[in-house]
Amino acid sequence: MKNSYDIAIIGSGAVGSSIAYHLSETKQKDILVIDKGFPLAGTSGSTQAWVWVHPKTPSWYGELNMYSAELYPILEKKIGDVEYRRTGGIAPFFSESDRKDALKLAEAQAEAGINIDVLSRKEVLEKEPALSPNIAGATFSQLDGNVNPFRLVELYIKAAKKNDVTFSFYNRVHDIQKRKDTFTIHTEKGEFAAKQLILAGGPWTKELGNMINITIPVKQVRGQILVTEPLAPLLKHTIGGIRQANNGEILIGYSKEEVGYDRRTDLDVIHDTANMAVQYVPDLAKANVVRCFSGIRVMPEDGLPIIGNLPGLENAFIASMHSGITLSPIVGTLMSELIFDGETSIDIQNYDIQRFEKMKA
Amino acid sequence: METDVLIIGGGPAGLNAAFEPASNGMNVTIIDESFSFGGQLRSQTQYFDHLPRPFNRERGTNLSRKLIDRLLPFDVDFLPQHTFVGKYKDGTIGVSHKNEVIPINAKKVIIATGAAEEAIMFPGWTLPGVMTIGAAQILMNRDRVMPGKDAIIVGSNEFAFDVVQQLKDVGANVHGIVESDSQMRLQNSQKIEAFKNLGIPLYVNASITEAQGKGKVEKVFLGRNGEKINLDVDLICIAGGLMSILEPFEIMDCKLVYNQALGGWIPEYDKHFETSNQSTYVAGNAAGITSIGGILTTGELTGVSVMASLGVLKSEEAAERKRDLWHQLYQIEGIQRPDTYHARLAAIKDFNTSKDRTLTK
Repeated sequence: MKNSYDIAIIGSGAVGSSIAYHLSETKQKDILVIDKGFPLAGTSGSTQAWVWVHPKTPSWYGELNMYSAELYPILEKKIGDVEYRRTGGIAPFFSESDRKDALKLAEAQAEAGINIDVLSRKEVLEKEPALSPNIAGATFSQLDGNVNPFRLVELYIKAAKKNDVTFSFYNRVHDIQKRKDTFTIHTEKGEFAAKQLILAGGPWTKELGNMINITIPVKQVRGQILVTEPLAPLLKHTIGGIRQANNGEILIGYSKEEVGYDRRTDLDVIHDTANMAVQYVPDLAKANVVRCFSGIRVMPEDGLPIIGNLPGLENAFIASMHSGITLSPIVGTLMSELIFDGETSIDIQNYDIQRFEKMKA
Repeated sequence: METDVLIIGGGPAGLNAAFEPASNGMNVTIIDESFSFGGQLRSQTQYFDHLPRPFNRERGTNLSRKLIDRLLPFDVDFLPQHTFVGKYKDGTIGVSHKNEVIPINAKKVIIATGAAEEAIMFPGWTLPGVMTIGAAQILMNRDRVMPGKDAIIVGSNEFAFDVVQQLKDVGANVHGIVESDSQMRLQNSQKIEAFKNLGIPLYVNASITEAQGKGKVEKVFLGRNGEKINLDVDLICIAGGLMSILEPFEIMDCKLVYNQALGGWIPEYDKHFETSNQSTYVAGNAAGITSIGGILTTGELTGVSVMASLGVLKSEEAAERKRDLWHQLYQIEGIQRPDTYHARLAAIKDFNTSKDRTLTK
């Protein structure tokens, strides 16, 4: 394994490995990807993996998600079957007063070209008979769906390897230094030099930022997810909080807790989650939960992705965001454009990390 | 539900840990995920010696019954088919039974969940007819089902030889014992002599290369120094050794440590068998793999420690009892399994050193 590269990417989750793959398509650069563990041992492997578009606001952020969802079918042609299913997404609401907000959402998102139907109770139940009759209505969009995160990350890596990207797993980064035009990355398995550096460490990006004296304004948020026994096909759509996987298991999760990197589950949240699921889908009261797990997600302080150059450090980039599964195809594409062309086909000014400085000022 | 002492795991360690608190008037609750108590001991027809007072040389099945019977006069709740599944944020234990999760508040918790058998994998290892040696023993002695007629055993530890004898007793043919090492692992000279009298071939420096059959095991292929041996068998018993069950300690936030001589990962504990979580104690194989004598003695030690920490036992009396039990442990484990005993002492010392360091920080 050589120790000098054009580009080093730290983090091999959905975002990092997508960037690696998209950069490798031209085969012009020597690329190294470093991960402290094995891919899918962190955030990307502990998610419900929705490709979720329609409720994402402001509308320009919804638009970015829509473009990413649109890229999935193309991505599958290039890297293989990632079990992407455009199931349509239903976000139910329980009171008539929520209908006003739903209509406002539909109106705002229409400006960005996101088509949302605001459904009546009857229309929701026709689409998804398993949902509770206590639902007042729902927003619905054909754009939403889900994907198998394990296949997604595995196939990004496989395709990148085919294009000669080097991966170094179980290799924690201890320190990053920049001298002249070269980044030196000190890792458990030795030193690596790179001309360009991309931080894609998900929630761990905060620690990576500290190494280069940049505060990355992200929080760690724990989500606990319940898994039922495999059930006969019950849910056709991806529903806010719930989806049925291809093997029949239903994944349920609503919780958000700021507890650092603690990945345990607790019965308070498990009970709440199960009760919530039964309110949405009453039949789930009969299902057995076979497993619970939690994942640590990254949440930028304003909820929106951080994508682009790092200030005051030439040739250093960041891609850190919630919804990494949904956004991975577009973020890989944009980062590749940014690095090769110096500009992107979609304006990413709104995602610049320097917005946080402005917020403070 | 409220209890003074909750014991998770109703095998020999848990049952013996219950005696001290129960006989001193405490309310003790013992849960076990099985429908019966006694753990693996309940299925063990072999004789055990080197037992702590008041027990003498005894068949496992009888010993198991005695451990249960001597608790019957006291305030002990036996809860079979109750599984420890998690913890609430306030520390309350969650135990699942049928469709319910029962919260249990206990002053002290003893985890005595024992050990799981380790598998040895080879092509065909998932065929019906391949099972652990412990599973074969349960089939024969608890369920009264012949696990097979023509058996081969992989692994040559003492447990394997005990079960070979039991297989012969129920009329099965044992066609050989396969050991990857250059000599058998069994060290008990009496048992070695008894084994020789059975006339069963011992294949050392050998391993299974494949098991074959249509829907069940029919044939096994062994490799020994390049030589190929095939045998017609319908039962392959795997004696791969034991490792402590760790999930309960993870849920209870107990620190774990790797200790080869004690069977791998175990919870850290001090000389009172208290873990890094101060309300949680450990006993038996969960505290490191040992003999039945070691299991019973550590169980009783834990029971005494819990009584002392609840203030039911005066400190001088508790100290005297613990001294006596540690002396018994030395006489039993220290002589029978000196490596285990010394590794245990070293592990306790290491844990105390790290605790002292934390206290002085």
